[in-house]
Amino acid sequence: MDNDFAQDPALVNEFLVESEELLQRADQDLIALESAPQEAELLNRIFRALHTIKGTSGFLGFDPVVRLSHRAEDVLNALRRGETRLTQPMMDALLKARDQLGRMLSDIREGGLKQYSMDGLLAELEAVQKPSSMEAPLRLGEVLVSQGVLQPDDLQAGLRTQAADSRSPKLGKVLVRDGLASPADVGNALMAQKAAIPAADIAAQTMRVDVRKLDQLINLVGELVLERNRLAQLSRDVSVGRVPSQGLASTLEEFASRLSFLCEELQVVGLKTRMVPIETVFRRFPRLVRDVAHSLGKEVELVLSGQETEVDKTMVELIADPLVHLVRNSLDHGLEKPEVRSAAGKPRVGTIRLEARQQGAQILVGVSDDGAGIDPHRIARKALDKGLVTPQRLRGLSRREILDFIFLPGFSTAETLNHLSGRGVGMDVVRTNVMRLNGTIELDSRLGSGTAVWLRFPLTLAILPVLLVEVAEEMYALPLRSVLETVRFSADEVHMVEGSEVLRRRNEALPFLRLGALLGTHSDVAEGAQKVVILLVNERRVALLVDRLIGQESTVLKPLSSFLHRGSSFAGATIRADGRVGLVLDPPGLLTLLDRHSSQGVA
Amino acid sequence: MEPRIKLEEAPASPASPQSVGQGPGDLLQLVSFRVGREEFGLDILRVQEIIRVQQLTRVPNSPGFVEGVINLRGKVIPVISLRRIFGWDGAEHDKQTRIVVIDVSGTVVGFLVDSVSEVLRVPAGTVEPPPRLGEVKREYVSGVGKLENRLLILLDVDRLMTDSEAHVASA
Repeated sequence: MDNDFAQDPALVNEFLVESEELLQRADQDLIALESAPQEAELLNRIFRALHTIKGTSGFLGFDPVVRLSHRAEDVLNALRRGETRLTQPMMDALLKARDQLGRMLSDIREGGLKQYSMDGLLAELEAVQKPSSMEAPLRLGEVLVSQGVLQPDDLQAGLRTQAADSRSPKLGKVLVRDGLASPADVGNALMAQKAAIPAADIAAQTMRVDVRKLDQLINLVGELVLERNRLAQLSRDVSVGRVPSQGLASTLEEFASRLSFLCEELQVVGLKTRMVPIETVFRRFPRLVRDVAHSLGKEVELVLSGQETEVDKTMVELIADPLVHLVRNSLDHGLEKPEVRSAAGKPRVGTIRLEARQQGAQILVGVSDDGAGIDPHRIARKALDKGLVTPQRLRGLSRREILDFIFLPGFSTAETLNHLSGRGVGMDVVRTNVMRLNGTIELDSRLGSGTAVWLRFPLTLAILPVLLVEVAEEMYALPLRSVLETVRFSADEVHMVEGSEVLRRRNEALPFLRLGALLGTHSDVAEGAQKVVILLVNERRVALLVDRLIGQESTVLKPLSSFLHRGSSFAGATIRADGRVGLVLDPPGLLTLLDRHSSQGVA
Repeated sequence: MEPRIKLEEAPASPASPQSVGQGPGDLLQLVSFRVGREEFGLDILRVQEIIRVQQLTRVPNSPGFVEGVINLRGKVIPVISLRRIFGWDGAEHDKQTRIVVIDVSGTVVGFLVDSVSEVLRVPAGTVEPPPRLGEVKREYVSGVGKLENRLLILLDVDRLMTDSEAHVASA
């Protein structure tokens, strides 16, 4: 089995140490592969690990190790060449192979390789590797044909027989009965059909969770059970006329308060179990930056930080898209060519910094570069040209408010639209995606120094504290994070300034929005009784007129379908206590409506 | 709706008349409903459920064909008025009005229809490609089923949804 080299303990030890390390890394990579089944870097790394193990064990004459790693390597090779897709059985086989390799290595450590019956595993690895058609065949007939055990003509005959049979027998039975396929073939086809689950489903179905989080969860559930029991007891007591000494109202209030606390904790911990380090998003960027910078002839260094920051698993892919867009923008439009940078006294190598950190109940993700920056004057001019703002309004805007125009749909100042960033800058798409995650996006830039974009996402994806308001007898919700204060409305505080209404308040002139008008509804409430909500939107203070204030609430935000989101003033919807759908307003969206109205001359 | 894969067998009848391996004798199961003066049909495999109209919330500034949103067991889904899609005026909701809930490539949508008739078994062979129908937009029609004394227009919901989304995107 082994050879002369294997007699050298130092060599063997080196082989073991290296291989064990490679296997351990491969293990982590295989797990990561489950959520990112097509990620080239992972596939290559696992492939190289197996390849190396195969090589060195071959050198030392450890044949079983060679044979197993060779088969596993073949599977990885097919995956990374795109010849096949990752399926659950494939992942199972790979993990089994990895475990077996680990066992063999430890046997070598303890004295020597044993006899192994690996035929089953080897066959399994070979079987899962068979390239499946890109569209997973779902129907038995198609699977049989694609496996080559059934002719298309025979399939047609079988289908016709099946259709003609009023008992509607299963296709498999028909084929066997008519001798068109053997029971074994049908059995295999059924297995293959089951195996062809698209990789994306795997990613969605399982994940690893820290046991401590699960413990917390179970503890909280236990507490909840106790509360329930106490409530049940209270109910029984009350039904026989036994009222608690402190009074029923007071007791119920206590229950409500405790339950409220428990629910919140449960929500937080529950959501935490779904969180993964943002590293899974960041890891695709080094390669991306390297390739794109190279093709643009730019020298770029990517600095990552905060990779251990955790985000909800469902957010991972949704965060990735905006980040990719922003990084591409930096590469495309932000960073200058090395010569230009040198001439400007900057280091030849530009830097893109991708960082994440948790700030209270929020996750902050930032993309910044030390490139050319954005010229607010160009933005302002473009906004004027496109009729997105009036000259009068423009005069009152700060630099950052002007930069915000970048987020409007169709806005692009890039003269060259190249294939990398696609049509325009697409910052409106980035913002929409961020909004969908209940997040906000902020941008700052200094001409000559660089640009920084910050994305903020709530830690708990779904829970949103809102302010409920009423307009024209319909209720709407405003995200509380945007609300600064609420005040009474008096008509004499509203003035017309250069075509738009403003509210004079504490020596400030705030843009004045009438929610009813913006939503196209008409309200009959007397002017004096109305209320004004002061909102903070993208660093602008804005006054919003509503009929009534209803109250505050913490509610679960639900998405509105994509075609209701676009260009609308709604961030999402919630389910109200009476079961109706309540609409949640999107303050930046309202502002966009206002800017459009005022530039069109509609007050 | 994805056909569910069970260990025994995949569904024998396909989701639309144009699928591979579909013989003319195969039966399509269709839900038929009325919109305006026309009768439509939809593969029953695609229909998630059919509900009455209740507590519809209108969405200001939404596209004309969006009737509103409803709460479907905790999920907020848009309700699209087929009347408006096909260019007719909206109508008052009455006791017959229904919402047909469909899953289109992962998005759950409700179609508002005037009334739902019945579930029919139609031989695939009786379905023909859409002729020049006067009023109904031809792009959303995947075929026409000729029954004894009526014409069933088969709706291409995927196309309809894609177009609706595109329409909004370009607005």
